[in-house]
Amino acid sequence: MLDILLPQIANGLVLGFLYVLIAVGLSIIFGLLGVVNFAHGAFFALGAYFALSLYQWFGWPAVILAPFIVGGLGMAVEVLLIRRLYGKEPLIGLILTFALSLLIEALVRLVWGAGGHPFSPPPFLAGIVEYGPILITKYRLAVLVVTMALLAGLWLFLNHTPFGRILRAGSRDAEMVGMLGINLPRVLTGVFGLGCFLAGCAGVLAAPLWTITPSMAAGAIMPAFVIVTIGGLGSYLGAIVAGLLVGIVTALTIQFMPEASAAAMYVLMAVILLVRPRGLFGERWERFE
Amino acid sequence: MSENANGSGRTRRHFLADTGKVALGAAALTAGGPFILSARGETPLKLGMVFAKQGTWTEQGEMLVNGARIALAQAKGQVLGRPVDLVWYDEPSPQAAQQNFQKLVEEEKVSAILGGTNSGTSLAMAAIAKRLRMPYITPNAAAREITGKECNPFTFRVLTTTPVASRALAPYLATVGKKWYFICASYAYGQDVYAQMKAQLDQFGGKEAGVDMTPLGTTDFSSFLLKIRQAKPDVIVAGLPGGDLSAFLKQFADMGMKGKIPVACPIIGDSDLWSIGPAAATGIYGKPWHFSDPNNTKEDRAFTADYAKAHGKPPSDKAWLGWFSMRTLLLGMEQAKALDGASIVRGLEGISIDEGGIPAHYRPWDHQMLRKMLVLKVKDTITDKWDWMDVLKTAPERPEDLETQFGSREEIGCQMESL
Repeated sequence: MLDILLPQIANGLVLGFLYVLIAVGLSIIFGLLGVVNFAHGAFFALGAYFALSLYQWFGWPAVILAPFIVGGLGMAVEVLLIRRLYGKEPLIGLILTFALSLLIEALVRLVWGAGGHPFSPPPFLAGIVEYGPILITKYRLAVLVVTMALLAGLWLFLNHTPFGRILRAGSRDAEMVGMLGINLPRVLTGVFGLGCFLAGCAGVLAAPLWTITPSMAAGAIMPAFVIVTIGGLGSYLGAIVAGLLVGIVTALTIQFMPEASAAAMYVLMAVILLVRPRGLFGERWERFE
Repeated sequence: MSENANGSGRTRRHFLADTGKVALGAAALTAGGPFILSARGETPLKLGMVFAKQGTWTEQGEMLVNGARIALAQAKGQVLGRPVDLVWYDEPSPQAAQQNFQKLVEEEKVSAILGGTNSGTSLAMAAIAKRLRMPYITPNAAAREITGKECNPFTFRVLTTTPVASRALAPYLATVGKKWYFICASYAYGQDVYAQMKAQLDQFGGKEAGVDMTPLGTTDFSSFLLKIRQAKPDVIVAGLPGGDLSAFLKQFADMGMKGKIPVACPIIGDSDLWSIGPAAATGIYGKPWHFSDPNNTKEDRAFTADYAKAHGKPPSDKAWLGWFSMRTLLLGMEQAKALDGASIVRGLEGISIDEGGIPAHYRPWDHQMLRKMLVLKVKDTITDKWDWMDVLKTAPERPEDLETQFGSREEIGCQMESL
C-alpha cells in the first residue's frame, strides 16, 4: 500500500507547490488591494508564452526575464485600470478583471496562434529520478525547489524588509500610511506588479510541465481561487497549507476514485468552509466588514 | 422628402433594369442558353458556415474553414454556374450556434450550411436544420446520435464515428498485446471509446489492466501515469480528446514511458501531435485521412499542394474534413441542379467520390459518410517538420466490408423521416 501511496503523495506535493505559487499572487493582490483579480490566470498564461518566445529567440537563460515582463505589464494594468477600483464594490473589480482575462486570451490567440505549442524542459533537467517507490521527473523536482525558494524569498521580503512592512500597514490603514508621508499609490502599483510577477513565475515553471495553449489560464485560475478560499483570503500561510492540501487530496483521489479527481478540491473547500467560514487561516479584517 | 429623391432614382433604375431584362430575354431567345447562364451569374448564391472563431475550438474551426475555402476555390468559386459567397458565423455555444444557423437561413438566405467543430454544437444545429429544412453537413462531430437516434433528412455527417474507428483500430492492437489499460475522458466520447474498445478486447479474449475515467480538461496526468506504470499493461488505450491527449502524451514522454508501452487512440488530429513536439509524439491512431498517405487520390494531392501554398504547411485532418465536406456539398448541389433544400438533400444522397477503389458516399438511410479509415503509427524517428506518421493499414480492406464496418440499421437506430 505504501508503495502506491508514497509516489502519489510526492507527486501531489509538487503539484501543490505549483498551485501555491499561483494562489499566493492572487492572495497578496486581494489581501493588500481588495481586488479579486480574475485575470490572474491570464497573467499565468502570459508567463508561459513569454517564456516560449524568449526561449526561441535567445535560448534558455533568457526565460528568466519572462516573469519580470509579466510583472511590468501588471504594473501598467494597475495604473491604467485597477487603480480605479480601490474602495469600490468588489463585484466591479471581478467583472473588469474577468473582461481583462478574456481580452488577454484573445490577444494571445492573435499573437501566438490558436494551437498549442511544444515546450520541453531544458535538456539538463530531462529524465526521471527514482528513490525507492517514489518516481519523479527531474524537472518536477526542480519546480519544487524553485517554488520553495521563491516562497521563502517572498516571505522574507514581506516580513523582514521596510517595504514589506509598508505593504502590510497600507493594507490595514491606507490613510494612516499616507499621513506618514508614504506614497501609497506607487506602493500599490508595486503590489499588483508583484502578484503578476508570481503568476508569471508559475506560468514559466508550468510551461514545460503542461502544454502551452491559449486556454491554459482556465486550468490555473480555478485551483488558485479554491486554494485562496480554503486558506483564508489574504493569508500567506493559508495559501501554502491549502495549496499542498489540494495537491495531495487531488493526487490521492486520482489513485482511488479517478472520476472524482476534478471535484475533490471543491469538496474539500465545501467541507472546510462549513467548519470555518473564513477559511483555515482567515482573519477578521475591519475593511471587509 | 429624401424618400422622394430616392424614389425618383429608384424608378429610373427600375426602368433601366427592366429594359435590361427585356433586352437579355430577347438576346437569350436568339442566342440560347449561355446568355441566361451569365445573366444568372451576376447574382451570387450564398453558402453558410458555422465554425468556432473563439474559445477552445478556434484552431479546429480555422482549419475546417481553410479547407472548405480551398474546395470552393478549386471549383472556381462557383456552383451551378453562379458565384458563391461564403458567410462564416461563430459557434461559441450550442445555443448561439443555433441562433447563428437560423440567422444564416433567415437573414443571409443561404442555400446550405456547413458547420460544427464538435458534437455538442452539431447536435444543436441538426435540430434546427430539420425545422428550417436546410441542408446541413457536419464535418467534425463524432457523436453517434447525429446519424443515429437524432438523425434527420437534412443532416449529413462526414467524420467516422467512434465505434467504426474502434473497430478499425482494435484488431491491430490485439496483435501488439492483450492486456489493455484504459484512460478515457469522463464524457460522451471517452465513455464511447471505453465501451467500444472494451467490447473488442473481450472479443479477442484480452484482459483489462485497469480503467481510469479522467475529468475532461485535465492538465496534469502525472498521478494517472504513476498508476498505469504500476499496472504494467501491454497497451494503453486513450479515449482522450485533443488537448487532454496532448497533455497526456507529453507527460508520458517526460516520465520516460515513451517507447516502453504503446499508446493508442481511435481518433487523433494532427495538431494534437504537432502541439507536443516530435520528442513526445508516439502512438497508434485512427485518422480519416493523412496528407502523405501513398494511396491519396489525385484530388487529395492537389488539395495538399494548394493548402501548403496558401498556409505554409501540409493540411491537417481537420482541414481535409472541411475540404471534403465542402466538396461533397458542391457536388451534391451540381447534381441537384436546384437550390431548394429537398433537391440538395437528394443531390447529396446521390454523390459518389472515388477514393482508390472504395467509393465514398452518404448512406441514404442515415446520412453517414461511408468511406475508408486509416490506422497510423507515429514514426520511431521523426525527421520531417510535419510528417510524423506512417500509414499501417486502411480499413476496410475490401469495399464490400464498408457497410458492415459502419454498422447495421439496428445498431445505428436511425428512423429517417421522409423529406
